Amino acid sequence: MRILLDTERCQGHGRCYSLAPDLFDSDDLGHCVLLVDEVPAGAEADARSGVDNCPEQALSIAE
Amino acid sequence: MDAGTGAAPDLSPTTVTQLASSDDPRELQRTLREQPVHRVGDLFNLVTRREDVEEALRDRTGTFSWSAVGMNLGNIRPLIPLQIDPPQHVKYRRILDPLFAPKKMALLEDEVIALVKELVDTFAVSGSCDFHEEFAVPLPCRVFLRLMGLPLDDLDLFLSVKDDIIRPPGVTLDEQAPYRERAGKTVYEYFERHLAERKDHPTDDMLAQIIAGEVDGERLSDEEVMDICYLFIIAGLDTVTDSLDCIFAYLAQNPDHRRQLVADESIIPSAVEELLRWESPVPAVPRVATEDIEISGCPIKAGEQVMLVLGSANTDDAAHAGADEVDLRRNPNPHLAFGGGVHRCLGSHLARVELRVAIREFHRRIPEYELAPGTVLEYTTGLRSLHHLPLAFPAGA
Repeated sequence: MRILLDTERCQGHGRCYSLAPDLFDSDDLGHCVLLVDEVPAGAEADARSGVDNCPEQALSIAE
Repeated sequence: MDAGTGAAPDLSPTTVTQLASSDDPRELQRTLREQPVHRVGDLFNLVTRREDVEEALRDRTGTFSWSAVGMNLGNIRPLIPLQIDPPQHVKYRRILDPLFAPKKMALLEDEVIALVKELVDTFAVSGSCDFHEEFAVPLPCRVFLRLMGLPLDDLDLFLSVKDDIIRPPGVTLDEQAPYRERAGKTVYEYFERHLAERKDHPTDDMLAQIIAGEVDGERLSDEEVMDICYLFIIAGLDTVTDSLDCIFAYLAQNPDHRRQLVADESIIPSAVEELLRWESPVPAVPRVATEDIEISGCPIKAGEQVMLVLGSANTDDAAHAGADEVDLRRNPNPHLAFGGGVHRCLGSHLARVELRVAIREFHRRIPEYELAPGTVLEYTTGLRSLHHLPLAFPAGA
């Protein structure tokens, strides 16, 4: 499982990295930075939580 | 119901004010969602469904403008960054976003805890308080003054100009205009004086960081700094008061949910998101169409204003199952209470710190409370807040 980030869409709501800080981080602006290429085994639910809580649909999952 | 076709139905302005002032706006939101767009006289178009609100907020095609919204807030120049459209908007957010980023805001937590405890101390023993007057109003204003490095003695001045701009006496815009203008003049004079003082005595607070902010090697002008500060007073003080009022009124009347978060503080962050979604203290945000468009089949002409109803988008159960009930552990909860797109609320992460800390610390000291006997809650129009929120709890807390 991979997480895809559309940086054009991210507006810095910060929901992803507050919910799943092991997978997402923030840059100076507070916009999303992906911490992993492949979602580690066991972290799939956290990945989905980060992705599904984005109000801008800037994040998606590629299986 | 099918997407609307053709002209939008008419709606009275009085009904629109109830989106903020109704005891329970969810019923009205549901009714309004039966049509995607309502025309409110020749004033504006109300956009009600999640999908349409979301698309307009994101505005990927540059169809909507904030700067064209004719809103008198007593200001003589556009407020920065709210009333600035892209691409200039980006320049200001590059300076301001880092100052309000979550990691920066997390550093304020200890100070906010101290301020919250100080306020709760003033009424905890007595067994009653007007939560609005004694907590929800002073907290965000004190946090703001601390953050900006401004004297705490100026609290009353800030509260009075904020009220005269957001809720001035009078009913018609003409009656209200003089109050807004006078308050605006006070704000400009105040910051002019403080900016001059900062030049002689540099400080290291947020105001200093804004003054020192650069984009492409260029500093902001004094006027730009003032236009930012002006917006902070309007957008930063009242909205947190509104959120606190809405959330604590909800918890006072829903003891099961209150006890749930008292029993497990780890759900406070998700409870904050859920109650912001449910209450949507900023019920709607305006934009102006810059070209002829259609929203769910309803024609909107260039130059017409739209009101994007965040509250109704947030409870749209056609978009999100179960959106018509409160679940403090809701996940996912991609609500739009802070708006979206490039104008996503700049202070959202500060608001979250204030709300989380307020809920945690208040309930540690006063876990059991209710509306004072005989209370009839009266919500405000415009932004959803309360005139008073009298709470009763065991004395000696």
